Amino acid sequence: MYRLRGSLGVALAAALLTGCGSDSPTSAPAVSTAPGTLATSPPLRIASADAATFNSQLGANAAGAQLLKLTGAPACGIDFYYIKFWTTGAANEMTESSGALMVPTGAAPACSGPRPILLYAHGTQFEQAFNIADPTAFTTTNTEGALIAAMFAAQGYIVVAPNYAGYDISTLGYHPFLNATQQSGEMIDALTAARAALPATFAASTTDSGKLFITGYSEGGFVAMATQRALDAAGKPPAAAAPMSGPYALEALFDAVITGNVDIGSTLFTPLVTTSYQHAYGNIYSATTDFYSATYATGIDKLMPTTLTPYTQLFEKGLLPELALFDSITPTVTVPGDPTLSTQLTDLLAIPSNPANPFTPVFAAGFGNPYLINNSVRVNYTLDAAQDPDGTAMGGATLAAAAPVYPLRVALYKNDMRNGSWAPSSPTLLCGGEKDPTVFFSVDTGTMAAFWGALPPGLVSVLDVDPAGGPAGTFAPIQAGFQASQMQEFEFLQSAAGGGLTAAAAQQALLQSYHGSSVPPFCALAARLFFSNF
Amino acid sequence: MTRLALRTLPVALLALSASMVRADDIPNNTFRIGEYWVFYHAYADNLSGPFVPSDLNLSVKNVQTPYLAYLRRLSTHFTLELAFGIPPLTKTYGKGPATIGSVPYNGVEISSARWLAPSLLMNYVFLDDTYKLRPYFGVGLNYVVLFDRNSTAAGNAAAGGPTSISLSNSIGPAVILGLNYQITRNWSVIASYSASRVQSQLDAHTGGVDRTSNISFGPQTLVVAAGFSF
Repeated sequence: MYRLRGSLGVALAAALLTGCGSDSPTSAPAVSTAPGTLATSPPLRIASADAATFNSQLGANAAGAQLLKLTGAPACGIDFYYIKFWTTGAANEMTESSGALMVPTGAAPACSGPRPILLYAHGTQFEQAFNIADPTAFTTTNTEGALIAAMFAAQGYIVVAPNYAGYDISTLGYHPFLNATQQSGEMIDALTAARAALPATFAASTTDSGKLFITGYSEGGFVAMATQRALDAAGKPPAAAAPMSGPYALEALFDAVITGNVDIGSTLFTPLVTTSYQHAYGNIYSATTDFYSATYATGIDKLMPTTLTPYTQLFEKGLLPELALFDSITPTVTVPGDPTLSTQLTDLLAIPSNPANPFTPVFAAGFGNPYLINNSVRVNYTLDAAQDPDGTAMGGATLAAAAPVYPLRVALYKNDMRNGSWAPSSPTLLCGGEKDPTVFFSVDTGTMAAFWGALPPGLVSVLDVDPAGGPAGTFAPIQAGFQASQMQEFEFLQSAAGGGLTAAAAQQALLQSYHGSSVPPFCALAARLFFSNF
Repeated sequence: MTRLALRTLPVALLALSASMVRADDIPNNTFRIGEYWVFYHAYADNLSGPFVPSDLNLSVKNVQTPYLAYLRRLSTHFTLELAFGIPPLTKTYGKGPATIGSVPYNGVEISSARWLAPSLLMNYVFLDDTYKLRPYFGVGLNYVVLFDRNSTAAGNAAAGGPTSISLSNSIGPAVILGLNYQITRNWSVIASYSASRVQSQLDAHTGGVDRTSNISFGPQTLVVAAGFSF
């Protein structure tokens, strides 16, 4: 995504001549390990940059300069803190977690005094060492941290962003991926810890105004929505929320994937899902070979997030297939006494081949050999979906009428944001791009919009940054900007400097970066504009 | 060069032969007090650890401090010396980029500490007790204890918060070269040059994060002192 070059960081301003002990006080570890407890206070300030310095360091990198055009010049300096706090895992295991606290600084009124908090949930990271608090990695592994720093902290928001359990210092040993209860709880724990940390920072004159905004992207979009729901349940709703490109309608999304709509990145997402739900519910499989092909089953339950850097070593080492989620041999589905349905379901599991669908090449690339997931999983899941269809399959947006029985589908059902009667009580913006080949816009954002279609006007609004009908409405400039950038990239990819791709190849290349790189800054900008109304 | 040696030799001979002290009348104990100029010659690896930018280093300013020593005469040619300086306040300065982000670094006083570095030396003294001016050299051990460490406000700002530091005590070899001039039976003056070797690993703890650096000192000292023997 966006990478900026700079020397933000910290000195080890250590006294060279010091003794075996230490006479200077330092941060004190917390005695309590209760969820939400700040583990170390005061937290470490990794770096401090005034507005001009941040602007120059971010702008020194081409992608950073491009980002600045979108975010606008920083109005505030930023102090980057690294917070550690206690939270719980999916099975209530105590674990230390960590995250970012970005505090705006500067004399301008928008940069100090009472400021709103923006609670941010990041997208899926595959490397266990990921740390969104680390500004020294803005040019490499933490481009998402750069985005939220420039978009929000530099514009006066106090930003709180956990790394999630299972990453960085957390010793949980797995990541509770797409676990609504755990992840919303951890977000609230991070918020509690950050609020405790704030008065102890160097920028103690920047205080919490009490106004809270929530946003997040991809996995973080799901987490942001789950957190909004949890805060509503606690009677502490945010001022507004803007989940972005999240897999909210989990059951519907996986129904689509299992039946052949293989999303980009699915061979990485799937082990995260199964490991998470296996820890939470214990019944996804008895042995990993129940779910995964023999080629990849060994050790896959401890594979993700990976300790390999870069994570692409997973493919190089043969630990995961890069694309082949499913067996290229289509399984036969047999529904006793119903040959017609058997044929329909078997056809449903075939390799996608519709030439009119621009996603077909992406979906078809998800089939091969060696493959990741056993055909038996697809068959059993599909039978369950046929027996107890998701509301989207029936032309609506509700969840299945009756509870599913296939364990993975049950887990997805439990965590689907349609589960329960919740609807946002605060203004909510759902942002995404309709050509998203990773988290399908229509299946997720579209489904939630329909699910909440009867809510009072204005409570939930939807922004497609890439509308087929062209820019329109409040966010038209953002839509126009996104589509212009896509066109610019499309033309670049076909130029000699961009590799001289054919139009078709350039289109596929655009799809590859659509979810992870292209949409996030535009949706983040939309979220900021949306929050400025409250 | 030859002419210079010829001219200075008689002076030296005169000085060396001027003492008429009898060997059995030589006091065995000597206390010295003087001034210690310490040139640290510190070298540290660039700092390493979480969130540390490249090329961050440290420098140490030389100091001057009172010198104290006790010597025990073992024989005509051998003395045992225990020497140390009044622990000097030594200041550490950032060395590297002008700023880290917006926080000043290069040349900024980062911390201060006092160090006690007693040396135990076995000295060989040339010539015999009849000579007033006697060169000597010695070898021994230098032990370094550091205390009263304080990270400055600027140091804390650069490190990212209140910082505690540990550095294991160090023991290393020491050598000394000197000249002793015996003014009277009890009073003398000396000038010496010594060098020692100190190596250790620094651990700094800030906000739950540890950073380290391997540090090598080669302290060299010049001493001018007066001695009283009894």
